[in-house]
Amino acid sequence: MAERFISERNLKFMLYEVFDVEALTRYPYYQEHDREIFDLVLTTALRMGKDLLQPALQEMDKNPPQFVDGQVKVHPMVRPFMKQCGEGGWIGAGAPFELGGQQFPLMISAAFRFILAAANYSASVYPLLTSGAAHLITSFGTREMIRTYVPKMFAGEWQGTMALTEPQAGSSLSDITTLAVPTDQGYYRMHGQKIFISAGAHDGVENVIHLLLARIKGAPPGVKGISLFVVPNKRMQEGGGLIPNDVNVSGVYHKLGYRGSPITQLSLGERDDCRGYLVGEPHRGLSYMFQMMNEARIDVGLGAAAIASAAYYAALEYARDRIQGRRLSAKDPTTPPVPIIAHPDVKRMLLFQRAVVEGSLSLILQCAQYADRMRVTDGEEKEDLHLLLDLLTPAAKTYPSEMGILSVSQGLQCLGGYGYCDEFPLEQFYRDARIHPIHEGTTGIQGLDLLGRKVIMQEGRALVLFCKEMEKTIRSGEEFAVLDPYAQRLKQALEKLKTITSHLVRLGEQKGAECFLADATLYLELFGIIAVAWQWLVQAVSVQRAFKEDLSDGERNFYQGKWYACRFFFHYELPKIEGLSRRLLESNGLTVEMKEAFFGD
Amino acid sequence: MNIVVCLKQVPDTETQIKIGPDNKSIVTDDIKWVINPYDEFGVEEALQLKEKFGGEVTVVGMGPKRVTESIRTALAMGADKGILITDDALEGSDSLATAKALAAVLKDLEYDLIFTGQRGVDDDMGVVGPALAELLGIPNLSLIVKVEAAEDGKSVKVNRPVEGETLVIESSLPALITAQKGLNEPRYASLPGIMKAKKKPLEEKTLGDLGLDAAQFGEGARKLKILEMTPPPERAAGKIVEGETPQEKAAELAKLLHEEAKVF
Repeated sequence: MAERFISERNLKFMLYEVFDVEALTRYPYYQEHDREIFDLVLTTALRMGKDLLQPALQEMDKNPPQFVDGQVKVHPMVRPFMKQCGEGGWIGAGAPFELGGQQFPLMISAAFRFILAAANYSASVYPLLTSGAAHLITSFGTREMIRTYVPKMFAGEWQGTMALTEPQAGSSLSDITTLAVPTDQGYYRMHGQKIFISAGAHDGVENVIHLLLARIKGAPPGVKGISLFVVPNKRMQEGGGLIPNDVNVSGVYHKLGYRGSPITQLSLGERDDCRGYLVGEPHRGLSYMFQMMNEARIDVGLGAAAIASAAYYAALEYARDRIQGRRLSAKDPTTPPVPIIAHPDVKRMLLFQRAVVEGSLSLILQCAQYADRMRVTDGEEKEDLHLLLDLLTPAAKTYPSEMGILSVSQGLQCLGGYGYCDEFPLEQFYRDARIHPIHEGTTGIQGLDLLGRKVIMQEGRALVLFCKEMEKTIRSGEEFAVLDPYAQRLKQALEKLKTITSHLVRLGEQKGAECFLADATLYLELFGIIAVAWQWLVQAVSVQRAFKEDLSDGERNFYQGKWYACRFFFHYELPKIEGLSRRLLESNGLTVEMKEAFFGD
Repeated sequence: MNIVVCLKQVPDTETQIKIGPDNKSIVTDDIKWVINPYDEFGVEEALQLKEKFGGEVTVVGMGPKRVTESIRTALAMGADKGILITDDALEGSDSLATAKALAAVLKDLEYDLIFTGQRGVDDDMGVVGPALAELLGIPNLSLIVKVEAAEDGKSVKVNRPVEGETLVIESSLPALITAQKGLNEPRYASLPGIMKAKKKPLEEKTLGDLGLDAAQFGEGARKLKILEMTPPPERAAGKIVEGETPQEKAAELAKLLHEEAKVF
């Protein structure tokens, strides 16, 4: 079993050299922090990953949660791990001091999560979901609600979830039917079904708190009638103690991968005794939930990159050890064979993985940096950062998710037949990675979100800001002779993005929404590749700066590796936008016109 | 109960070690440094005793400035204060010199117990703990896997594994304990602990501050000279035991174990 799952050096490069997380500590909100603290966080996360999470990786896959007598039994490590996350203060790390948090920058929390997710994605999800749900309560809940739920959630004693999906309403949230009937007691009586609820019930915690979408009786149809509720599996009794809240688990699903965490089906109010507590205003639930969803979407991207990172290091270790074949130039069959890492095609596969993993991580940390800066700025600057974050979220979720699968696949390929067998972790990573284009909004939904909402909102202002950010990086790249060709390539790609966007908007005006959005997923793919190319140029600028310093051998190798991975992206990945743009610039609505009847035979 | 933990910073066992051009030292560039794992058991045990009996845990380290990181880690785990002995003249000191420097710090501290690791995982000498106890004139309890302090905090009962048996030793305090694997599972630093660590006192002392003569430290004063460092021999290729039946294979294996490996 490969021991390494991430590169600490690379994380530090990103945090300190590329995104300058230390700069945040100049603002009063972050002034309690410094690099020494951040380093200690990373060291602790690495230890937790190595000692606590990685040893359970395969076990959790082979022994998935069991549904026994109405209870969901999870791996025994979940309870001590949640306790550790709670006692260690990791669940509430990002919350303000007054709420019991430590005001950690999101960049550092993201690095922490990346490490845990690379060690064992399934396990990392339990505290992660709890953080997100607690954040939703602290943002929109009443004081009373915060007091009741958040300390227990931060302590890792209670699990948090997001409960959106219903059997008949997955991607289309406007069709949810879970009903909330008002009472004069300050709570609502809840009735309905929720499915695919991650960690919706399990024996690793005392209680589970759902942040759940439902309709108040008589609410208007569509998204304007959706409200947000807190629905605990067990509710507080007057005078203390917990009693069941009529949230019934009707089953757990058996999954392809990501098996260490249960996804449950929940039935609410079978005995008409399920109480829900309204969060914020009625009918505004979806906009609240989007806060959690946007964070969760970026976390999905992070999880995808993390699994791909673990797969990369497993493949790298194998490629260095496995002796097979001779150099393509070697004519004599009696010469000794070489480790497969000597073969250019194996190096191509490894470089591809690095380009995806580190490019994805960079894009995610860029988003985290925007979010951190939002906290300490105001007015137009804050609004601009918000728009950038909104625009980039679909790409930060989708690029790592879709490309992560291909990246893990190439890692598996490096191992040949062994990669396909469960003696090596690659086959598990391959299965684990497959969830990411599906949960927290499928790739299709992300495409619609990007092209149908984010790109055109406020007359395209977010896209204008994004172009400005890229132009800034292009100018930095132009200052280095070796980077200039890549800056020019990015400039051309940016022009292409602008042309395609205007073309599609025009097409929409002429032929309607169906034609406009029919290839939104392709547009997202193109957008993602360009965004990651931008991030590789951002990294390359830091690499070239470092080359000017006096470097040890190990450090020089690190930056050389980065520089090769960067160029790999520009030479092997960025050209993929050519094919995409060719299609996107066509105007025939082929998929719109294709009829259901033609699919039969 | 006041406890002092002596802490050494060593290369992470995952770091690939390269021998330097002088063949007598390792290349220290690109090394990831960590707390010596045996010392970490000492930190954990000290914290558990403090939780039971109160008092203070002081962590003492020696070496270049980078050792601060390891001391801070121990402070983040819950130790109260740190002292770093740092002086260019210490570079290249041997274990006895290290014990002397530590003893100089300790003579000014109030302590009931001292923990060191049973050895450093880098040099594997196992000298500093016993030498320090000798210099301080206190009992040395080595290779300990269990510590029980008396309710009054005046004595300890400790376990040391010996040849599959357990030796139970009782000692008055102050005493020095060298920690062995199995003593405990060191805790993870908590986030509030990490935040508090940087506000905890961490004092630096030079040889001059300790009233020590620089000539007794460093490379020149070594009583133990390193003549040469060589990498371990490369592992020879394994052997596959041939045979038609399991019986034949077993017989062949027994023969090899007897004649080649000479294990019986």
